[in-house]
Amino acid sequence: MKKRIFLFLMIAIFMVGFINVIGVGAAEKLAKEQVLNIAFDAGDVQTLDPHRAATTVDRSTVDPIFNGLVRYPPGNQVKVEPDLAKSWKVSKEGKVWTFVLRKGVYFHPFPGYPNGYELTSEDVVYSLKRAADPKRSSYAGEYVGMDFEAVDPYTVKITIERPISETLFLAKVANYAGGFIVSKKAIEEKGDEWAKTHPVGTGPFMFESYEPRQKTALVANNKYFRGAPIIKQLVIRYMASVSSREFGLQTGELQIIEGLKEEKWVEKVGAFQDVTIKGFGPCETQMFYFNMTKKPFDDMKVRKAVSYAISREEVAAFMGKSLAAPIYSAALAPPSPGALTKEDALKAGVVYENNIAEAKKLLAEAGYPNGFKTEVIISEMESSYRKPMIAIQAQLKKVGIDMELKVVDHSSFHSLVRQDASPIVYYAAWRPNVDVFLTRFYYSESAVVTGKKPDTNFSHYAGIDDLIEKARWELNSAKQNALWKEAQIKVLRDVGAVPIIRLMYNFPMKSYVDLGHPLEWSWETYSPQITEKTRILAK
Amino acid sequence: MFNYVVRRILQSIPILLVVLTLVFIVVRVLPGDPAVAALGDYASKEAVNALREKMGLNTPLWLQYLRFLGNLCQGKLGTSIITGYPVGTQLLKVLPYTLELTFSAILLGFLFGIPLGIPAAVRRNSFIDYFNRIFSLTGLSIPAFYLGILLMLLFSIQLRLFPVVGGGDLSSLSSNLRHLFLPALSLGLIMTAYVTRMTRSSLLNILREDYIRTARSKGISEQVVLFKHALRNALIPIVALGGVYAVVLIGSSVMTEIVFSRPGLGSLMVGAIKQRDYTTLQSVMVFYSVIVVILNLMTDLVYGLIDPRIQYR
Repeated sequence: MKKRIFLFLMIAIFMVGFINVIGVGAAEKLAKEQVLNIAFDAGDVQTLDPHRAATTVDRSTVDPIFNGLVRYPPGNQVKVEPDLAKSWKVSKEGKVWTFVLRKGVYFHPFPGYPNGYELTSEDVVYSLKRAADPKRSSYAGEYVGMDFEAVDPYTVKITIERPISETLFLAKVANYAGGFIVSKKAIEEKGDEWAKTHPVGTGPFMFESYEPRQKTALVANNKYFRGAPIIKQLVIRYMASVSSREFGLQTGELQIIEGLKEEKWVEKVGAFQDVTIKGFGPCETQMFYFNMTKKPFDDMKVRKAVSYAISREEVAAFMGKSLAAPIYSAALAPPSPGALTKEDALKAGVVYENNIAEAKKLLAEAGYPNGFKTEVIISEMESSYRKPMIAIQAQLKKVGIDMELKVVDHSSFHSLVRQDASPIVYYAAWRPNVDVFLTRFYYSESAVVTGKKPDTNFSHYAGIDDLIEKARWELNSAKQNALWKEAQIKVLRDVGAVPIIRLMYNFPMKSYVDLGHPLEWSWETYSPQITEKTRILAK
Repeated sequence: MFNYVVRRILQSIPILLVVLTLVFIVVRVLPGDPAVAALGDYASKEAVNALREKMGLNTPLWLQYLRFLGNLCQGKLGTSIITGYPVGTQLLKVLPYTLELTFSAILLGFLFGIPLGIPAAVRRNSFIDYFNRIFSLTGLSIPAFYLGILLMLLFSIQLRLFPVVGGGDLSSLSSNLRHLFLPALSLGLIMTAYVTRMTRSSLLNILREDYIRTARSKGISEQVVLFKHALRNALIPIVALGGVYAVVLIGSSVMTEIVFSRPGLGSLMVGAIKQRDYTTLQSVMVFYSVIVVILNLMTDLVYGLIDPRIQYR
């Protein structure tokens, strides 16, 4: 017995000591000044209205200000966890979703409400209805056929006309785009225009000030329901010049900067003293689309020849192995469920592994034994457009295809390719799930210029409309994934496009910044998320 | 003099009208859509159309033009179609930064340029002349933003003396000056090069004049000849060209502001071009044109102060 007591005491003493060491250690480690400066490759923020925010810098600015009903844990997008809603359930037939709200969540103070006010179901319903209104939201399309109702102050009922899978439904109410919950009173009393530059949310950081083309400053919301943030001020700077961002990081005036997606640059900056750099997803995927209605790309043989002429591995190596990797679908596998992997593509025989002889043979069969000339419009952006296309240009030359590149500025590029001005469209993008990818890029209605709802179907492809619809309404995730894969294989079989590479994002940061979460995927912001746990350690 | 100023101002109105019509057309001829720029490529066509409507881009061009002119006549610069932020407020916020940068650069230019140019002219083809000529040629050939980067590498990265991000706090003199030093130096060095060159050539011409020889033969000390007789006359073209270079300098300050991430007219303009923010871009360009007109006018007026022979009619 004595022995046991002795042992127990020893363990207790050891544990107390251990906890002390950790506690004291942690307390000493924090830097005195908890001000975080993060610089983006942007001229300015476009809007601070979360239902309009679309670009990297806009999303990154509104992300710490707002919450959704559910959220993807920071740095990881695969699962979903409670955010403003503490629990939810779905009715048997899948049409009614009921969310129970967390109590005691307060909106940030704004004129007339010096202490903010408590979030209730009324705010949630107002916010989701606003997100569904095309006049006030850029994401209205996501909420068609949905009805929102406040059952009591802490219960929200959402009814959907046609049931959809959990993956697709929860994405609409997550901490992303239209899912962000805004303050009813702030917007009703001050107006939508005011809200554009004065965001009022429930998140860990509150809006403090905005200086056009310079910066937006946020301050800690000490009443945040997950606890007061450690960072006291978060300054988001708009700095389009990469050398300026680099210098700012070196002098320590900036702690996190948006990097270039180039291996050489990553290596250089990685060698700076006390700077850490790591690639993260979701990654942009770079695709090569043919206009299938224009000569010579209306001929399947020509498209196949081009596929055989292109070596994804070579492009990936040219861009740098640490950031780039070959892909077999525009949707990314992993993490998107239902995205096509290399194994899937190999099994279906739609990889078209680099083969010059085969490409030449197909071109001859199509009536182009000596190749042909084509002029392609691309964006000025280096790593997403110019560099990979220069690699592909050299590869196509080997089979006699002379691809001339016309470089225009990024904004012009987006306008021109939507007017069918280029027979080939090289396009770097990321979309949140396979359904969106397929609908935007391959649904017949999405065809540029000619489609009913013109979007980004640059190929004018129309071969998988039925599969896209079937998959969208499939409730069983496994069956849904199988349908999506079938659709992606069909696209490759028809050679509607050639998937080339995916490119990781990177944001070099000072090694004394602790994000408070692992950074693997950041699909809400495309940048490291700043949360209440983010902190600056003593140097 | 008063009549002259009024007439000059009235004369500049048609010029301004032509400029702002051109600006109005040029910003819209560029391919690219502010709504797409604002929403990113993820936005659906409907969302883009809804935003275009809201931005007032779906109204006919002539109506947009008349509105723009009408607002300008009332002194309204409009609001940014992207952020909804009033352009006038944006301009007022950044203007002190651009002005302090431009003026300190001009000041540095005259402060160093004239003393450097004088010995070069007096001792023509001497070592100091060659040195100054090489210095000014380098200054004329080097782009301001590149010089800015070099200065940052030396003073901020190596020596850790000056900050590289932002324009500092206007209410705190020390913070403001610390942020101003490097950009002002990079523009100032270039301005110095211009002024040195001008001082040298202008003074060389004057020193060959008959009245200088007469003055010397009267036995007046070389100092008085140089500073009272020669330099005073040499200053006229220096000041004249100084005005022109100030305009050039405002142009160079665009890139300098961007490299140093300073607030200012330049960064305002470039940001507006990237976003296709028509209203902001128009107003900033109009503002630039007004500044150029005013600078030209001021240069003409300063002539009179230096050269009493000039009369304003």
